[in-house]
Amino acid sequence: MRLTQTDLDRFYESVVVGVRAKGGLCAITSGMACIEFGVAETTKDCDVLCEPPSARILLNVIESSELMGSRGSYRGNLSPPLDARWLRGGWTSHFFWKARGAEAYLDVFGVAPRGSTPWAAELRGLYANPHTVAEMKRTDREKDWPFATALGSMMLAAGDARGWLHVFDVTTLRRLIKRIPCPAEMVAQRPVLGLALRSDESLDHAILVEKLYWNALDRARLRVYERAVRPYAAAVRKARIPRDKSLKFQHETRMERARRLLPRNPLREHGLPAFVQDARESVARLVPGANLDYLPDVADNFRSLIP
Amino acid sequence: MNRRERRPAWLTPSVRRYIRRVAYDFHVRAFGEEMARVNFLPLEERKAYIRDMIDHARDRSVRLKKPARGVTP
Repeated sequence: MRLTQTDLDRFYESVVVGVRAKGGLCAITSGMACIEFGVAETTKDCDVLCEPPSARILLNVIESSELMGSRGSYRGNLSPPLDARWLRGGWTSHFFWKARGAEAYLDVFGVAPRGSTPWAAELRGLYANPHTVAEMKRTDREKDWPFATALGSMMLAAGDARGWLHVFDVTTLRRLIKRIPCPAEMVAQRPVLGLALRSDESLDHAILVEKLYWNALDRARLRVYERAVRPYAAAVRKARIPRDKSLKFQHETRMERARRLLPRNPLREHGLPAFVQDARESVARLVPGANLDYLPDVADNFRSLIP
Repeated sequence: MNRRERRPAWLTPSVRRYIRRVAYDFHVRAFGEEMARVNFLPLEERKAYIRDMIDHARDRSVRLKKPARGVTP
């Protein structure tokens, strides 16, 4: 028997409900949240934000959640253990369930990448809020950007001025700014909005540069983590954890390696100035003569990782 | 306070219609006509459509496996 996507969605929702029932806090984000908010993404996986103190509760729920008789398991050698200390440092833990006719993939974040506000303070039922989801879409993957614009437009239609921070399609931005007030606070956070308000012809160029900047920040962030994970991943690979071992055993094996080999917050060790400088230089290399004056201050987007 | 009371004064029904029209045009350009229609369906119909699309892809053996990277973009 094959599991339908409806069954899978219910399975993922049951994980979140299970955590909340035990006093923990987590919320569905990314693709499944986009569908909820009106931008259909054909996603079959589930990304979940989990408050770091709830990590142990979530791990227990994953361990006790069966999918057609299959038990949850860590996925890949790169996955850090699901533990508050690493979740706080921006790591993502990966899980999967695999049965005949059914596979489920779950990624767990403690910190929403690029999230400028605490995601847990504003939830939409089982889901994270559109502002956080849209910030998470500012990746190095071209496919993600239309989702940010769509979520931004939807937020404006609901009267949420933060939607201005997410509209990256120039045509849409020009049309919206003709009739909808854009508060000074939003312009301060996102300087290109000032160009849009003045109908400045350099808006196209400024938004292109802005997107390249976010692309570069994402690449720089991933490089930092990918470098930091190598010794740990090699040790996990060497441990050859049998798939049929309990999740608790898998977890303890990873924890032992993580304590020795996995830095908790590699981004903090790298530091924000170096990180931002890398990204600015990357944009300047990609677009010689690019005007970097309209790039946003991204300190808030990384404050939870680099205080 | 309910949602209607929290709405800013500038968000009149006409402005709201305007935003939805601009947004719909964007969805057509970014996602294509079919997905634009889907995105503007009521929530349950939208979910059902997407679930059917994914189930159809699975039935056609589309690879849906996701790599683990230690950190997610």
